[in-house]
This record gives sequence, C-alpha cells and structure tokens, in this order.
Amino acid sequence: MHRRTALLMGAALPLAAGFARTARAASDVVVALDANIIGLDPADLNDNLSMTASRTMLQGLYGFDRTMKMIPVLAESTEASPDAMSYVVHLRKGIVFHDGAPFNAAAVKTSFDRAMDPANHLKRAALYAPIAKTEVVDEFTVKISLKYPFGAFLNNLAHQAFAISSPTAIAKYGKDISRHPSGTGPYKFVSWETDTLKVARNEHYWKPGLPKVDSITIKSVPENGARLAMLQAGEAQYIYPMPPEMVKVVEHDPKIEVVSARSIYASFVAMNVMRKPFNDIRVREALNYAVDKQAFLKVVVGGYGVPLDAPLPANLSGYVSQGGPYPYDPAKARKLLAEAGYPNGFEAPLWGGNATTTQRAMQFLQQQFAAVGVKVSVEPLESGTAAAKVWNVKTPEDATTQMYYTGWSASTGDADWGLRPLFYGKSFPPNLFNVAYYANPVVDKAIEDGLTTADPAKRQAAYTIAEAQIWKDCPWVFLISANNVSARVKNFDGVYVLPDGQMLMEDAAFV
Amino acid sequence: MLAYLARRLAGTIPVLLAVSIFVFGFVHALPGDPARLEAGPEATPADIALIRQDMGLDGPIWRQYLRWAGNTLEFRLGRSIKTRQPVAQVIGERFMPTLWLTLVSMVWATLAGVGIGVLSGVRRGSVVDRGSMVLAISGVSFPGFWLGLLLIDLFSVRLGWLPTGGYGTWQHFVMPSFTLGIGVAAVMARFTRSAFVEIMAEDYVRTARMKGVSERLVAWKHTLRNAMIPVITLTGLQFGFLLGGAVVVETVFSWPGLGRLLVDSVSYRDYPVIQAEIMLFSLEFVLINLAVDVLYAVANPEIRLK
Repeated sequence: MHRRTALLMGAALPLAAGFARTARAASDVVVALDANIIGLDPADLNDNLSMTASRTMLQGLYGFDRTMKMIPVLAESTEASPDAMSYVVHLRKGIVFHDGAPFNAAAVKTSFDRAMDPANHLKRAALYAPIAKTEVVDEFTVKISLKYPFGAFLNNLAHQAFAISSPTAIAKYGKDISRHPSGTGPYKFVSWETDTLKVARNEHYWKPGLPKVDSITIKSVPENGARLAMLQAGEAQYIYPMPPEMVKVVEHDPKIEVVSARSIYASFVAMNVMRKPFNDIRVREALNYAVDKQAFLKVVVGGYGVPLDAPLPANLSGYVSQGGPYPYDPAKARKLLAEAGYPNGFEAPLWGGNATTTQRAMQFLQQQFAAVGVKVSVEPLESGTAAAKVWNVKTPEDATTQMYYTGWSASTGDADWGLRPLFYGKSFPPNLFNVAYYANPVVDKAIEDGLTTADPAKRQAAYTIAEAQIWKDCPWVFLISANNVSARVKNFDGVYVLPDGQMLMEDAAFV
Repeated sequence: MLAYLARRLAGTIPVLLAVSIFVFGFVHALPGDPARLEAGPEATPADIALIRQDMGLDGPIWRQYLRWAGNTLEFRLGRSIKTRQPVAQVIGERFMPTLWLTLVSMVWATLAGVGIGVLSGVRRGSVVDRGSMVLAISGVSFPGFWLGLLLIDLFSVRLGWLPTGGYGTWQHFVMPSFTLGIGVAAVMARFTRSAFVEIMAEDYVRTARMKGVSERLVAWKHTLRNAMIPVITLTGLQFGFLLGGAVVVETVFSWPGLGRLLVDSVSYRDYPVIQAEIMLFSLEFVLINLAVDVLYAVANPEIRLK
C-alpha cells in the first residue's frame, strides 16, 4: 500500500515540481531482515542486525563506505603520533544531534567515557580498552591517548561501537538509552516494537540532499520463504539475506533484482594442531587438498562466493593472495596421509552449528574427507552447547575440539582483527577464537609488529609475513568466503550490504 | 461452587511450586554459559566476568533459586539478558498477539470441527461422513510450514489479497489462524464423531428412539451434550497448547508471539525470560484444567463439583 502511494506521488512529482520545489514524494521503505534487533545502544551490541539498525541513527568519527573502506564521518581529519600512542581528531562543525544537542568535542568525550566505564557493563568495552583518556583540546578538537601503541586504532573508531550518542540523551536515559537512541545520523528514532523498528528522515541532516526517503521500517522476518514473499508481494523493497537456493524462483521476475556482494566472512575448518593426528602438518595439508572448493561453493551457497586463497578474505585490508586456493588433489592428499602414518586414514568428530546450510556444508566435507579415507562424524551443536564446548577451556590441553567448521568476520575491517583473534599464540580460548590452538613465533611476532605501528607500509609488511606463514602451516582447512546475497525491487536502490554483513541505508531512494 | 473454586485454586500452589523448581533446575542445567553467549565470540574473559556478575549468576544454585522464586512471587521478573528490557514487558508485548491468534483459531476450529463431527456422526457411513473424514485426516497431516508458505504464495504473492505476515489488522489473522486451526478442527471433528457414534449406541438413545422422539431431537438433546464431555477435554488441551505459542506458524507469518520468543530465549540462554515464560504456560494450563472441570458440570449436571 505504501509503495503504491509512493508510485502515485512519484508520477505526480514532475507536475508538482513546477509549482513548489520542495514538493517531495512520500516514501516509506520496508526492509525485511532475518533476525530480531536486540538493542540500539551501539556500545552494547555485537550482532550485525542491531548494529545495522543503530547505524541508521548514530554515527562515529569514522565509518565505512560501501566497500568497507574506512572514511571520515564526523571527523574531518586525524593526526596520529608516530608511535601510534595518541590521536588528535578534528571534528566537523555545525552538526546537531536529533535531540538538539550540539555535536562537539565534549560530546565525543562524554560518549567515549560512558562506553569505557566498567560500571556500565557494556558489551563493547573491549574495543575501547586501548584508550587511556579522551581530552577536549578545543570545541572541535579531541585528543585520544592510548595505553599502548595500537596501529589499527582508526579502524576501531570506524566500528559502530564508537558511534557517538547525544550527551543529553546519555544524561537523561542512562541505561535505557538502548530504547531512546539519539545521534547525528540520517534517520531519527520513531518506534521499536517487538519485531519492527521505524526510523524517519532527519530533517537537519548535515549531508545536503540526504536522506531521500521519509522513513525506513526494519522488520524481522525469520522465515526465508516468507521474506522473499514480502518482496514479491511488494510489501518490502529490500530483503537480506536472500536465500541462495531460492534465487531461481525470482531470476526471471522483472520486478526483482538479486544483489550479490563480496564479504569478509571466512569459512574454515579449524584443526586442533595440539592433538593427534592434526599435530602433523602433512595431515593438515592433506585435508586441504581433499576438498574441492568449487564444488563446496556450489553445494553450500549456490556458487555465490569465492574460495579462500589466503588466511584473510580478499576484501579485508591487509589481504595478500597466496597464489590461489589449495588445489583439489585427492591423490596427493592420500599420499600425504600415508607419509604421515595414516595410510588408512583416521576417524574424528567434526563440530559445527545446527543451521541447515551449516549441516549441508558439514555433510559435504564428510563426503570429501571420506574419499581420502578420513572418516569424520558430523556433530551439529546448538549455539549454547557449542559455546560450552569451545569456551569452557582452562588450558589448551583441556580442549576437546578436534575439527570445528566455523567462520569469522573481522568487524573492524582490518587485518589485525582478522588474524590476531584466530592465529595469535595468546588467543587460545577462553581468551579469543584461536580454536586451532595454533602458535608460531614468526606469526606472533608479525602480528605484534602490525599492532605496534600506525605506518600502513610497515603494517602491510608484517601481515604479508604472517599470512604466508599461516598459509604454509595450514591450521585450517581453508574453505570459502561466501558472498552476501540480498534482493531488492528494481525501483528502489541505495541500500548496501557491507562485506561484514552490516548494512548502509543512508542513500536509500526510489529510482 | 465458590468453595470448590477456592479449593481448586489453592491446590494449584504446590503444582506451581514443583514446576518452578523443575524449570529452574532444567534451565540452569542446559549446557552453555549465558554470559559467554551474550558477550559473543570477539569478547575477552574480562568482558565475560563483568557480564556474569551483572547477571547475578554467582553464588550457589539454591541461593539463586530462592532469590528468583522470591522475586517472582512479588512479580519482579527481572530483566531479559538479551535485550535488557523488563521480562514482564518482553512477555507482555507478545502475549496479546498469541492470545488473539489462539482465540480466533480455536473458535473457528471448534465450531467447524464439532459441526463436521456431529454431521458425520449422525450420517455415519454416508458420503458426507467419508468426505469429511478424508478432509480431517488431511487437515492433521498438513505440515504447518508447507501449508503456510502455500497460502502466502497464493493469497499474497499471486492474488495480493492478504498481507504475507505481521500483526495488526483482521487481514493479518486470516492465514495464520487458518494454518493453526486446521489441525485442531480436524482432530476435533474426528473426536466428536467417535464420541457421537458411541453415545448413539447407548441404551437411553435407543429408548428415546422407541418412544418416538425425532432423530433431530435425539441428536441434539440426548446425544450432543453427553458427547461434549471428551470434546471439552480436548478443547482445553488444544487451547493450552496453542497459548504456548506456535513456533512454526509464528515463524512463517512473522507473528510476534510467545513461541518464537521461547525458542530465541533458549538459544540465547536468556534465563529470566525462559523461566518466566514456562511459569506462565504452567499457570495457563492449570487454569484451563480448572475451567474444563467447571464446564463438565455445565455440560452434564450429573457431574457434581465436590
């Protein structure tokens, strides 16, 4: 119904424009997503959907463009000290929050101090951990001093956790700010009930000409078929995710466009390198040769994706191609297994999630490994059980993980967060997500080198070393980076899925 | 009657107490640490320790139970771990959609089911009887998600008559209540038919017929009321189950109900919400059972409420 109104008004627009230049089509957009929004306080979120919702209203000093390149947003420029210990940020002037409070250095300090305060128990406090203090230099300049050198700090600032909330809203609502968000973004909060969030045009938005629609409604529609039906029936203009197996249903629909974009999500099987038989590098290599990545892509995600050819997915900064994925070569795999002392293969449990796609992936892997004599039992784990099995580990020797099919998306968009949590010797669970229990002094040193400088060339050199070494050591069966597949109606555009699965809606418009 | 009701209500207290211990024990025995799930894979142990403390998940389990039970009695249900909203609000805003969907589905399903059942029972072996029993078996056998998606494709995508999902106007009720009610109606029809057939064979029905009472009167006056006893039991049970929220129908039609909330809460280990929701379901069942007992007496005055 809303869409029909929009179309009618749109048709009338050329006429109206002659009389009043401010005349504008009433346009309400509905975006259907697969899960529920959990909260709207950016410093307290760790799911993509809530961060997406928050991003429509709250902005940070830095942010991402649609390719996830870091760009200044509320900052004009930044001077980093050569030792990567302090950052002086110059702010954009003349911006006001939705509630009328002015945006300035004091607002930045209030927002950061609140997010960092341990008494507030916010989920993203860890991202603020490097900060020692935030100081107001003058009205539009802040100085952020760190506790230790951190070269990727600007990427942290681009994370939605660093979005700035209005200081008056913080004072007024305290903990309940999650239900009363107020930022500087293109849309302001209207309502959030059960499965539906509504935001409306910020009339005072600082970017001229934006936003182009009156409101956006984000609906939670968990069922794949029902979500697609909303698009087909014209009830939604944009859906994400678009289930790859249903693409053929709408391939020839003249009203619908399927959009596929590269992600920074890496899928892999982590092998516990501390345990037999995975402590033998030949076994780990063999399993890498045993999987046909192209077939895996087709079976699991309908071909929407690319095989991994480095420990980092191609869209992440710092990525260095290792010259192509491990080739599919079962004969070589069998030979390597025989050399390692497993001519008849071995048996091992393969853990993973319990979603349909995950199970399909695990069954495919089971079949591929069986072809070289390795019998894995597929063990789908419900999320709570998985968390208990993976994280309830005091020392690495306790870990019962053998093979774990999982994935990672570095939410800061930077190589450090794509490598350190997964391959650093100090990142074993329960600290971080090094579920392969992989440690190599060369890699550890490179990761530390990358962290302690802000010089992009030096950081790149460090990550080049780390990636080459990890690729050689294969703590993972390197699989794929699946694309983010979404769909829109053809007369609507300007919503983009970022490589990390979050979305940008600033440019949403009927076309 | 009032004394009876009071006694029955008092009798629910030990039931609810037992349920509360069971629920609490069960929820806390689930593998998985809510603090870990809440923090997400990118968190450090320090973050998690903070969160665990914040959730009050410290101290021995019996003390945690007493604290929770005491708070629940005073209707202080705490806050959701996941959204940090008060639990009463989380459940409250999903209770009405579930209640309405249940009521609408139950009303049409009961009317249709009992109607068809009576018709089949009276004309046993007729074409009407066979036809409706085939329908009834199909009704029970339709998987909800399949029927739901089929309806969406036909009425929303192709014809554009009804919204695909969501909650709001009467149009939003049509497909979900049909999908939810069809199984209930089918069970109801089969149940009513067999109860009817059974009663029709009783001596007093034969006597009535011999006295020359018309077939219609025999069906409506002598048989129906007696046949209603098992039907009332069944209605109560179905009502209780539907009030617990229908996960499949709610998911297919994006219905903001309690079933989806429970599944989400379990996978997130949102202890306060799971506990409060299961306590609510238990309370509903206890009250429905009571209502069913009262209705027995209404249907058949020979059953005294003692």
